[in-house]
Amino acid sequence: MAQPRVLSLKTAVSTSAGLASAAINFLACVEVAEYAGGSSAWIALLAAGILIVFSASNFAELSGLYPSAAAIRVWTKRGLNDSWSLIISLVYALTVIFVIAADAFVLAQAFRRAIPAVPGWVWIAILLVLVLWANLRGIRVAGRIQDINAMLLLASLTIIAVVILGKGPLPPVQQFFHLGHGIVQSIALGVFIYVGFEWVTPLAEEFSDAKAIPRGMYLALGLIAIAFGLFSVALTTIFPRPAQLASTFVPQLLAGQKALGVWGFWWMLFVTATTAMTTFNGGLFTASRFIYSLAREKALPKQFSHLNSRWVPSYALSAIAVLSLILALVIFETRQYAVLINAGAGVEGLVYALSALLVIRLRKKEPTRARPFHALGVPWLTAAVGIIFFVLGMAALFTSSSAWPWPFMFIASLVLLTMGYVHFVLPRMKEAQRRKVSSSIKGNKVTPEETTK
Amino acid sequence: MTMLQVLENFARECNSNDRLRQMNREWNRTIVIRETDSGNAYWLRSQEGTIQSGEGSQFEADLEVEGSHDVIRSVFSGEMSPTEPYNAGDLLVKGRQDDLMRLDIITLLIWGE
Repeated sequence: MAQPRVLSLKTAVSTSAGLASAAINFLACVEVAEYAGGSSAWIALLAAGILIVFSASNFAELSGLYPSAAAIRVWTKRGLNDSWSLIISLVYALTVIFVIAADAFVLAQAFRRAIPAVPGWVWIAILLVLVLWANLRGIRVAGRIQDINAMLLLASLTIIAVVILGKGPLPPVQQFFHLGHGIVQSIALGVFIYVGFEWVTPLAEEFSDAKAIPRGMYLALGLIAIAFGLFSVALTTIFPRPAQLASTFVPQLLAGQKALGVWGFWWMLFVTATTAMTTFNGGLFTASRFIYSLAREKALPKQFSHLNSRWVPSYALSAIAVLSLILALVIFETRQYAVLINAGAGVEGLVYALSALLVIRLRKKEPTRARPFHALGVPWLTAAVGIIFFVLGMAALFTSSSAWPWPFMFIASLVLLTMGYVHFVLPRMKEAQRRKVSSSIKGNKVTPEETTK
Repeated sequence: MTMLQVLENFARECNSNDRLRQMNREWNRTIVIRETDSGNAYWLRSQEGTIQSGEGSQFEADLEVEGSHDVIRSVFSGEMSPTEPYNAGDLLVKGRQDDLMRLDIITLLIWGE
């Protein structure tokens, strides 16, 4: 029996909020507060949220224009060209690995604090292997469980923050409006808290109401802003001086303990574990299907389109899991999680800038195509917000605690490698394949139609 | 070859493939295919492992596939994988992603890479 394909607004909200909810957001809140100068972290999150609303409207227009699971691959191909589309899509898909590795770091730190006898990396390996095993066997964590977890996380953060703020004492009112020197970086990092809200757009084909996605994204952004804004402010009441914030890797556990004692500590540990696992699961599932689809259109080696006996793209899935595990262990050892946060925030900032460019270009290239939703302020306001996102993205990439801008170097290397692949390796691969087909036709004396069989 | 003949061939290929029949034995779906340029509609029905085809759009669709005549013809005759026009925005689908992936796997099993 076919399952109903019509998804509701509620699903759009929970999916958008769910995909934006990652365990690394706890540490991102710490970074936002640190750069904002303490209690004014909420201003950075609010400013980032307002900018994100414009970006959400861009994604809503693009998603209505081409409702497709291939989302950014389709939009960039129509708005730019095939080569740029491939480069951008691959880099964007690889950011999933950053998020998984960063969440793994948070998970390991939280469990190490709760159960010190077991090394943190063991938890990373166990949970990643468990999620990989479940995915290889075709066991999918139901979207509903993922959605429930998102709401659980947001509700837990809100309740804990309200309890902490209610217990007081609160800092003087002027501190809530005091902007630190790093406010621009703070807003750029604030973008990271919302990252992933747009990953609901690949589900566009499953919604009958084209406006459910924009509405869902807006509502989700509001919920995220409230929960993480309150959590950031509550954190700054536990750690009044920004320098103190940098010393903790488990702010969510400390906040839970402060609000509800030992129960709060274990509750937040549970929420951290479920959030990290849903991030692992969602990330592996989405990225592996994307890699599979690129292999099917012959943009990646055909091995990645291999399906196991349960119709799962097992090589693509395993490759993503192995890369995630390696990066997670490197980050665990070096504690350079901030590089991933800044790199992720940078990539997303640039993708949000790109969304503005695509909306404007596609309005010119395909003016008559139906648009169920129109982006806000096209073209001037859209362009202005796009430029702001570009600046914020670059600011995030150049935000580093060391003399070297590691996030920028990391992403620049990734982009150069991808460009090298698309411009040099891929044409040779396609040429080799063309020759193989050509020699097969000559050798077997069969018609071109038969070669496809 | 008319589009209906292309779809009949596609159904025949599916029905003569044991692995596909086994795979689709519980995949009971109706796929409605619309040509955006001509306005013509066709259907494919998967019922207990057997695929049937026909003309018109009288059934309630679990999966709707839209594209130009040339694209639809190329996809269902095996000249190109559905992924290529899909990733280019030339083939639009309305339905569950699992069903879309299944359709892609079917073409992979019939025609290979």
